[in-house]
Amino acid sequence: MELLTTLFPGIGSMLAQEPAIAAARLVLIVIGFILAYMGFTRKLEPLIMVPMGLGMICVNAGVLFLSDGSIGTLLLDPLVSDPTELMNILQVNCFQPIYNFMFSNGLIACLVFMGIGAQSEISFLLAKPWTSITIALFAELGTFVTLAVGILGFGLEPGQAAAVATIGGADGPMVLFTSLIQAPELFVPISIIAYLYLSLTYGGYPYLIRLMVPKKYRGIDVEVYPPEVPQKTKFIFCVVVCGVLCLLLPMAAPLILSFFIGVAVKEAEILPFQELLEKGILYFSTFFLGLTLGILCEASTLLNTAVIKILILGILALAISGVGGLLGGWVMYLVKKKQFNPVIGIAGVSCVPTTAKLAQHAAADENPFAVILPVAMGANICGVITSAIAAGVFVTTISMIG
Amino acid sequence: MSPITYSLFAYGLTAVISYVVIAIIVAINAFMSRSHKGSGRKEA
Repeated sequence: MELLTTLFPGIGSMLAQEPAIAAARLVLIVIGFILAYMGFTRKLEPLIMVPMGLGMICVNAGVLFLSDGSIGTLLLDPLVSDPTELMNILQVNCFQPIYNFMFSNGLIACLVFMGIGAQSEISFLLAKPWTSITIALFAELGTFVTLAVGILGFGLEPGQAAAVATIGGADGPMVLFTSLIQAPELFVPISIIAYLYLSLTYGGYPYLIRLMVPKKYRGIDVEVYPPEVPQKTKFIFCVVVCGVLCLLLPMAAPLILSFFIGVAVKEAEILPFQELLEKGILYFSTFFLGLTLGILCEASTLLNTAVIKILILGILALAISGVGGLLGGWVMYLVKKKQFNPVIGIAGVSCVPTTAKLAQHAAADENPFAVILPVAMGANICGVITSAIAAGVFVTTISMIG
Repeated sequence: MSPITYSLFAYGLTAVISYVVIAIIVAINAFMSRSHKGSGRKEA
């Protein structure tokens, strides 16, 4: 047995650890395989799930006995805070620099947001601005309901409940950022669950659409004439709006700057930067985000009673946001005297461009000539703006809860 | 403030700020469109 432990520490460490942790490691290895495979088959978002699945497998399999006698990995240790110990471990654990210099300070969330900004088309917003923002606000319902449920029903602290509630905004970088500021002790499980659930919107929301919008309404075509907005106009209002939002919500300034700098680069047609942000930086940061999240899925980190609460609250937040968005779609259907497709409401949930594409697919399934994507994209972009504002409001005012 | 009151307050504040942002976007677009038409007439 001792020979086995020495020759194969990955297996030996399982025998040395508590049974619950050893069992959790095995379960997480299997889950990692399932996530990676579902990413491969495109049932879940491959950009996140393939690296995350592999990271999860390796951090739970590649466990060994360290020089100080403790059990750990050579991948990363998220709990190191002592500066001297951190400097030592940065030279040992290969993914520690990525975690400390990019992940735990929110930089990776900002980089992803820059890439999203560079891909966003503000003109869609201008096609029906008031409709888009109203739908986006309805789609934020899940965030605010979950906050109250988290505190009153699950006994979370206000900061923790706010961090979990931002999952309802369906905006990964926003969740990362808010949980870093509001609930750093729950940052890891909140981020993992948020990204897992965001991938699941692919699977769950189509059923919600079918439940809340009868067939004959799903195929309604929406005539829209997107205005031809000169680039100068788009550039000016992205710079002005960035400044105004930073003035109003300085705590959310890093994310606001990141999003609008991407938009500004696109509208200013700085092609080398646009390509850098859209491709290089977005894919680099998405890759390391997924990989780091997977490596953080160590059994001992996830065996925490708070994780169960976050699992339930996360799904509640996204479900209520989907319901809220579709309710917003119905409100617009009535306001616009039945010249509106209620399915567009789901696009208010700001999983860009997933939910807008879901809306278009749902409409096209009933009426191949229905083109609702431009209006859905407007609601999608407004969803990003409202979830940034909601996160900023939480960070700025959460102390008002007595 | 109770959690329910705070949620309503935060939702309302988010809505107000969101509509202000859209109003700014619409105003800039309207102003720039008018300037563009105005300069077009001057050229003619």
